[in-house]
Amino acid sequence: MNSGTSSSALGSRLESRVQGFLDRLREQGLRSGLTAGVDLSRALSALPLLDRDAVREACRATVAKSRAELAVVDRVFEEYFGSLDLPVTPPSEEGKLPHSRERLGRTPSGANAPAEGREEVEEELHGRYSPVAPPPVPPRVRLASERLRQYRAGARRFRRSVATLAGRRWRSHPVGSVDLRRTARAGLRSGGEFVELARRNRSPRRADLVILWDVSGSMREHTTNLFGLVYALHRVVRRTRVFAFGHDLEEVTSLLAGRSYERALPLLADRLRPTGGGTRIAHCLTEFRRRHESEVRGTSTLLILSDGWDLGEPNELADQLRRLRGRAYRLVWVNPYAAQARFRPATAALQVAMPYVDLLASPEDFPSPHGPARRARSAVPG
Amino acid sequence: MTEVAPGFADSVDSVIQALSGQHYVTERGLATAVYLAIRLEKPLLIEGEPGCGKTEIAKVLSAASGGELIRLQCYEGLDAATALYEWDYPRQLLSIRLHERDRTTTQLESEIYTERFLLRRPLLRALEGKGPVRPVLLIDELDRADEEFEGLLLEVLSEFQVTVPEIGTIRASTIPLVILTSNRTRELGDAIKRRCLYAYIGYPSAEKEVEILRRKVPELSPHFAQEIAEFVGRLRTREDLAKRPGVAETLDWTAALLALREHSLRPETIVETLGLLLKDAHDLETYGKEKVAELLAAP
Repeated sequence: MNSGTSSSALGSRLESRVQGFLDRLREQGLRSGLTAGVDLSRALSALPLLDRDAVREACRATVAKSRAELAVVDRVFEEYFGSLDLPVTPPSEEGKLPHSRERLGRTPSGANAPAEGREEVEEELHGRYSPVAPPPVPPRVRLASERLRQYRAGARRFRRSVATLAGRRWRSHPVGSVDLRRTARAGLRSGGEFVELARRNRSPRRADLVILWDVSGSMREHTTNLFGLVYALHRVVRRTRVFAFGHDLEEVTSLLAGRSYERALPLLADRLRPTGGGTRIAHCLTEFRRRHESEVRGTSTLLILSDGWDLGEPNELADQLRRLRGRAYRLVWVNPYAAQARFRPATAALQVAMPYVDLLASPEDFPSPHGPARRARSAVPG
Repeated sequence: MTEVAPGFADSVDSVIQALSGQHYVTERGLATAVYLAIRLEKPLLIEGEPGCGKTEIAKVLSAASGGELIRLQCYEGLDAATALYEWDYPRQLLSIRLHERDRTTTQLESEIYTERFLLRRPLLRALEGKGPVRPVLLIDELDRADEEFEGLLLEVLSEFQVTVPEIGTIRASTIPLVILTSNRTRELGDAIKRRCLYAYIGYPSAEKEVEILRRKVPELSPHFAQEIAEFVGRLRTREDLAKRPGVAETLDWTAALLALREHSLRPETIVETLGLLLKDAHDLETYGKEKVAELLAAP
């Protein structure tokens, strides 16, 4: 701790580095814009700059916008401000309330020690290396623009076919709730007389998608196509959550949101790099149910993108699928081999899954006008 | 800047003390986010595990500051008429009928679209607060509302104003302290996140949970509180649980154990009352007497 460092000198050093800090966060995939920078500067002016934890908490509150981003901010904060001589927070006077230092794993001497909560998020972000299988690295091969357009058109058709949510716009309709505004306006024209009740309703136009994408080693050669499909679906269906799974489960929606295909591709490749260790579909579905089950509602279409090669117990997989199918509107399994004439759902995982699957499709079906869109519409919910 | 309450937001420590005075035990990180939300006059978005005190913090802030708590519970289909304002159509029609003989259509139209016929919903009420203390606006479970509803909130949360086409723009003279909560059932839009500060509330550590239990249930012995917190903590680490218990469940369970005059944890009582901790039928089936005893004996 350099006790001689004055607050104002430190403040000017900090402010000059805020922009660099935000740039570093952007490189890590955070969309920290001008607003975040202004907020952070204002926050720093409202806090004691000599308090390292206070500065870190200000960064967390103003720049991060999700739990995963909190972990990124923590990491970049350590890397970027590590050299800046910020003292640690003096002990709380009351000594009763748990201190952020403990939570963030910083010991009173200032040494870094990974904290429990932080480790948990780190695992969630990067998964764990396992020697069981080689770590799959999604290739950064770009799809041709034409192919991307085809996927997007297919995604639009698919959205229409699984639309369950009412559009925002009310439309005049002979059946529906009374449209008081139009009724009042019409009444005005007839001297306040209720001649006719105007009615309105909202037709289903939006879909609700949850995508579980197998990124394990056996799916490696299909990653380019599947990323194109996932990107198109996410782009076209606003309510889409994307989870990548293999050995562990990880949400990747934030890497796609608001990004062009070209920007999202390397980010996703970087994020998924350390995962490996064989596919544990049942385990990942259990984890998905535990953490995100409420995201699957009666309006949700669940898309599982996997070849069905699984290290887990088939019965456990069947149990998880039964539970998820019970909550979802449709369960669609996209298998990269399903388009091949000789394909049969022969793996143990696929065999136990089929009773709960409304539609088995191939990624190659999506660009086709007669692909899964038409079949999903006609698929009978179980 | 209007004060939330005198001395309430002088420092992060004063926020911690104010919350502590309402028996709300908080981490310094959350207190910093609350302090900054007050000082920067920005909304605070709180995400986290269910039952860990997201909604409670707004209630506690309202009680601690003395500001009115205005709550908007979000749900699918929530729209401007329920959240912002609505015209009082029956009264408008009545007014038309009463004055149809002595007014022209234009006069009638200009009269019925005035503030007299405006029904104020929570968002508008929060903006019209005139007192010396800032009201606390709780927009609860925003993730349950439609994405389009977020668009409606943008003007309210960034400018603290609302535009009613027939009247004009209503601007807040006293900026409310806005707390938004989300259970992450869907990802909120970037535009809304950009306008908010962010905090996450996870499960508390065993020490923190003991402190919460002792604050909320003063008659609980320290030893029993420790036992309960450790058992719930172990339960939360189980991979096979569909739903992990939050602090709210721990408090309910503690109250039930005290009502049953229990003074320490026994496997039989745990099994009988486990429904207060576990809210999933499959979890309840899984955790029978043997598994509970094993969990209780675990180091």
